Amino acid sequence: MKQITAIIRPNRLDDVKQCLVDIAVQGLTVEEVRGFGRQRGHTEVYRGAEYSVDFLPKMLVTIFASNERVDEIIDAIIRGARTGSMGDGKICVTPVEEVIRIRNGEQGEAAI
Amino acid sequence: MKEHAWKCGLSWSLRATALATILAAICCLSQLSTAQEPKPDPAGIATGDRTSVVDAAGNPFVVPAPTNPSSPDYATAKKNYDEYQAALAKEPLAAKLADSVGHVRVATNFGWTLNTGYLVLFMQAGFALLTCGLVRKKNAAHLMMLNFAAFVFALLAYYATGYAFQFGAVAINAAPANLGGVPTLNHFLLGSNSWGILGGKGFFLSGPAYDAGSNVLMLFEFVFMETAGYIIVGAICERITFWSFVLAELFIGGILYPVFGCWVWGGGWLSQLGLTRNLGHGYVDFAGSTVVHAVGGFCAMALAVILGPRLGKYDKDGKPRAFPAHNLVYVVTGTFILLFGWMGFNPGSTLGATDLRISVIAMNTNLAAVAGSAAAMILWYFLFGKPDVTMACNGMLAGLVAITAPCAFVSSTSAVIIGAIAGVVVCLSVLFFERVAKIDDPCGAISVHGVCGWVGAVSVGIFADGTYGAGWNGVGTASYLGISGQGVTGLLHGDTRQFWMQLMGATLCAVWAFGATYIVFAIVNKFKTIRVTEESEGVGLDVPEFGMHAYPEDALLTLE
Repeated sequence: MKQITAIIRPNRLDDVKQCLVDIAVQGLTVEEVRGFGRQRGHTEVYRGAEYSVDFLPKMLVTIFASNERVDEIIDAIIRGARTGSMGDGKICVTPVEEVIRIRNGEQGEAAI
Repeated sequence: MKEHAWKCGLSWSLRATALATILAAICCLSQLSTAQEPKPDPAGIATGDRTSVVDAAGNPFVVPAPTNPSSPDYATAKKNYDEYQAALAKEPLAAKLADSVGHVRVATNFGWTLNTGYLVLFMQAGFALLTCGLVRKKNAAHLMMLNFAAFVFALLAYYATGYAFQFGAVAINAAPANLGGVPTLNHFLLGSNSWGILGGKGFFLSGPAYDAGSNVLMLFEFVFMETAGYIIVGAICERITFWSFVLAELFIGGILYPVFGCWVWGGGWLSQLGLTRNLGHGYVDFAGSTVVHAVGGFCAMALAVILGPRLGKYDKDGKPRAFPAHNLVYVVTGTFILLFGWMGFNPGSTLGATDLRISVIAMNTNLAAVAGSAAAMILWYFLFGKPDVTMACNGMLAGLVAITAPCAFVSSTSAVIIGAIAGVVVCLSVLFFERVAKIDDPCGAISVHGVCGWVGAVSVGIFADGTYGAGWNGVGTASYLGISGQGVTGLLHGDTRQFWMQLMGATLCAVWAFGATYIVFAIVNKFKTIRVTEESEGVGLDVPEFGMHAYPEDALLTLE
């Protein structure tokens, strides 16, 4: 089992969700986060004083998946999130030791 | 330590007693010698009779009895008077009707003045929204409380001494004739005749001020004073302690505002310089570019200098950092409420709907507002590539502040020019205070109200076209500059002396408001700092000063 974590543009969330639903992903968790990558922040002027927006708003999407579905899900996320410019975000995949469904105690892939 | 505290307490109570005694003495003095004094009319039933009836040109219905037999036109005056008396005797019904007409005329003006006063009162809500939107979220409750307390304490101070200091001698200049009644406030505490410095009747709105007309004037004037009172919030917010703010409000409402107000609107010496020193129509400020706005703006500047900039406003190289506004929706909504309130501020300053110049005044006010905003947006676009929402709002307010003094005296073209000048000046001024003078002014109050107030008063001396204000401050009642009916006239229309008068008066206003505030609060600051602790400033003043957050849900989230 794997945990797939993707940092995406907030305005791509709907598309990413749709692409994941289309391939019948059963669930996902999202979080509002802030950060910067290679694109860094940008500067603006407020009443004559410059200020830099160092941390840009992003969405963090977390999905649990069985090993064989990982590639398919990654493709779906990229389909939904890619614009081709800097700041499109990242996807990382980490191994998961165990998943437990709280409601009935199911374990492993049955709990995903 | 304890002994020191005890001494402090004693000296404070001594000072308080002394102050109370002085106030009581002032009250008594102002109510002495009431034997031949005109009687106030609290019920309003004697206010407005045939003496208040005038035709469209301002000629009175009642012909006064000639008093000076040696005057050259005594014979004509006597003849006119006799004819009037004979006509009265022949048509008693006409005289009765004139009494009713006079009462209705005054009632119309009461309605107008009170309602425009309510509009000005509502500006307080606009200013609260504007300034609240411009500060950081962590200080929002503190800022709203400052705006709220400004109203509360400044009004109490104005009621106690301010109104009397400002208008206690208004009848010496000219009673607000539009409001009818007999002038009961007619005594200077300091100075006399054309050299009045401080009014001396009407303390606590009692005695001679317990009068229907006087209460209309008080309502209309206290909302103006409140404007000067809350303006300071814009420059001192996010770092002043609540107690020192309350002290500042008492100072503004009780002393600072009324003194300059007396000089210009209370028949004081500055307004009389036209008569005494041949300086145009004396100092002219129609609705308060300086009397209200520049007093507030420069008072705010003095306090901002004493307080110093907010923590972290300037980095170690002195480069300013931006603390962006937390809610631009409030900023824009607040600005529109202020614009709406200004429709009371300027046209209402005629103190009467029977003065039909109100339509020109209202239009001029709107034109200057949009011209100011457009100028600020365009200038900012060329300077920084994008128009700034907050500066667009400041530009509109700058136009409004600048047109406040000249609104009654200028053409609509001049109003647009004045507004546009103010829109440019406010941008440059904000940049100057931010980058060069390094006086931290979170909402631009010094630039909008102080600097543009000064610009407004000076522009009377440049753009006034002479179509309005004949006989203003008692100058040129028969004719002015050789033209009958010529009113207040500026540089461009041939009266250079009016320009110098305006330049001097507006500058004096800045010096008075800044100087008096600086002296008083530098001393206060020596005894006890008027600034909050660094710790409070870091976490935001809402909880350290008032124990509550403006947005508690946000605070809970950060706590978790």
